[in-house]
Amino acid sequence: MPGSPFPRDPFFPKIFLSHDLLPHDLLLGSSPVMPRYSLGLALVLPALTIIVLFFIVPLTASVIGAFRIGDGFGIGNFEKAFSLYTADIIFSLAVVALSTLLIGLFSIAIGGYLVLGENPRAVAILRWLYRWPLFIPFIVVGQILRTFLAKNGLMNNILVGAGILTPLQTTGLLDWRGIVIAFVWKQTPFVALLVSGAMASIDRGTIEAARNLGASRFRILWEIIVPQVRGTLSVGLILSFVTMMSVLSVPLMINAQSPTMITADIAFRINSYGDYGVANALGFISLILTSCVAWIYMRQAVKERM
Amino acid sequence: MTSAPFLHVDGVSVTYGKTRILDRLDLGVAKGEFVALLGSSGCGKTTLLRTIAGFSTPTEGALRVDGRDVTRAPPDRRGMALVFQSYALWPHMTVAANIGYGLKLKRQSRTEIATRVDEIQNLLGLNGLGERLPTALSGGQRQRVALGRALAVNPDILLLDEPLSNLDARIRLSVRHEIRALQRRLGITAIHVTHDREEAMVMADRIVILDAGRIAQQGTPEEVYNQPASAFVAAFMGAENLLQLDGQVSGSSAAFSHPAAASAFTRQTGEETWRSGAFAARFRAEAAVLCAAGEARPDAHGMEFQGKVTSVSYPGGLWRHAVTIGNDSVLVDAPRCLPEGEAVRVFIPTASLFLFPMSEASSGMASTSRSDGFSAAPGQD
Repeated sequence: MPGSPFPRDPFFPKIFLSHDLLPHDLLLGSSPVMPRYSLGLALVLPALTIIVLFFIVPLTASVIGAFRIGDGFGIGNFEKAFSLYTADIIFSLAVVALSTLLIGLFSIAIGGYLVLGENPRAVAILRWLYRWPLFIPFIVVGQILRTFLAKNGLMNNILVGAGILTPLQTTGLLDWRGIVIAFVWKQTPFVALLVSGAMASIDRGTIEAARNLGASRFRILWEIIVPQVRGTLSVGLILSFVTMMSVLSVPLMINAQSPTMITADIAFRINSYGDYGVANALGFISLILTSCVAWIYMRQAVKERM
Repeated sequence: MTSAPFLHVDGVSVTYGKTRILDRLDLGVAKGEFVALLGSSGCGKTTLLRTIAGFSTPTEGALRVDGRDVTRAPPDRRGMALVFQSYALWPHMTVAANIGYGLKLKRQSRTEIATRVDEIQNLLGLNGLGERLPTALSGGQRQRVALGRALAVNPDILLLDEPLSNLDARIRLSVRHEIRALQRRLGITAIHVTHDREEAMVMADRIVILDAGRIAQQGTPEEVYNQPASAFVAAFMGAENLLQLDGQVSGSSAAFSHPAAASAFTRQTGEETWRSGAFAARFRAEAAVLCAAGEARPDAHGMEFQGKVTSVSYPGGLWRHAVTIGNDSVLVDAPRCLPEGEAVRVFIPTASLFLFPMSEASSGMASTSRSDGFSAAPGQD
């Protein structure tokens, strides 16, 4: 591009490629620049419009709605939300945090076995099996687990039938435990898929070097492999965290009691009371919680790109 | 070879699927010896090293260290440490943590580990780099950290899997000598895998040349260089010029002729059991003497061929001439440049002319042309 003040060195950071069409050039009025600038804008415009129309506008409206009381603005919706639902907010965080932790542990275990397993047949079976829940929607997971985990559900029937429990000893797991089981069951394959891919691509020599010096398989997994896939693991867990925070079907299907998750409360405020103010406030609180972990994700991504 | 080698590879075979990588291979290594396993890619040298290290299990045969059977022992119970081709440093650990990890696994105290890590850093010139991550090191420094990590646990046997192949050519030359000097100083037994002939020659007490899962020849660098046992070894050790001779064996002597040879050449058959027929003659470019027309050839026993210079290049030191002899083309070095098209004579002294019966040579030639890009002259197979 003639007249550009920016070098066209191929090694020059890519980010400058978008900068080299800045007002600087436009002010100079160099004619070949204008069509390219408009063309670029035209190409971006559809995507930009969709983001603005379907994402930024509703989000802003929702955030504004959270602060709207009657004709004015205030934090009344938040006061109401906290007075009614503080227990649910803590419940949601605790359930999702515990699920995230368990998902992390299970996906490390699955990925670790896929990389370090010495029985080829067992590795092949695990590789084939672990991804199945990926293709099952949350609502179906909720439905399956509701019939499985109930007091008179399939699991207890099997345990009673096998003579492990008597009918009097059975308890239903349709509370926070059910939600955690559903979340872990559904999300572990997703994180395990990312993590096992990352584990498979690390230099196998680093594993063998540790074995050569006498490290056990557990130590190899924990001290050699996991630190090398830490980035991928945390990205997978953060994406799972955000996904689980937004699931409505599972708490509705499994946990029809209080405390429950924020998503169920939002649905309840809107469907039963038409109370968009408190619903928006709860949505905003949920957004703040997920933003915190998203911020960790962004920081990680930036660090990796450096 | 001593009667009771320190490391004894006893009739070891290794198969991957249906492919036999090592074929009943026998090898003995004495304590403190530096052995180079030399061969082209796919010859089984890395598999042999990994089998010795315990990362591949033999389908038959046994491995013994100091008389103890370690065939099925896990890699860490063999008293060996392996230096990987990729270095395989742990990128999330500092240099000191990399070097000290083996000691940590042996449950040594922190002070013991720190002392030993310091010692190793001193030994390898890594002072002041202890807190760095491997990504902040140069190739040569990484290679030394990998070496230090292996040496820190005081292994009886050091296994080196092409440890120099990722280094710049210039650094490689000095690191060769460093590793060799270190091995001598520590008196450690070392087995070094390489495909670089010169590297093996410079570093090793003994060179073991592998071909298709078997040992083609083993001996001191001088032996394998000057007395190659087969056409394959001769070609691998740099005698890449090939001419086909006709040999007539009678009693203990043989007479060799070639359409372009000035005169017949006779040689004692020695211990070989030769029969009359086609022979492969192999020689190095620098071992032959190039004589211009009218120039006297050296006063020595050898074989002389008529030829014509087809091209000249200067790789440094000597001029390299491509000379056509009959239907074949050979490379001959000379201290001065002879012009293209000049009729010349090529003289090869007896000691530098390696002769092998063609039936035996053809198998070697097939693997040579496959392995190191050397293509046999037409009409030889």
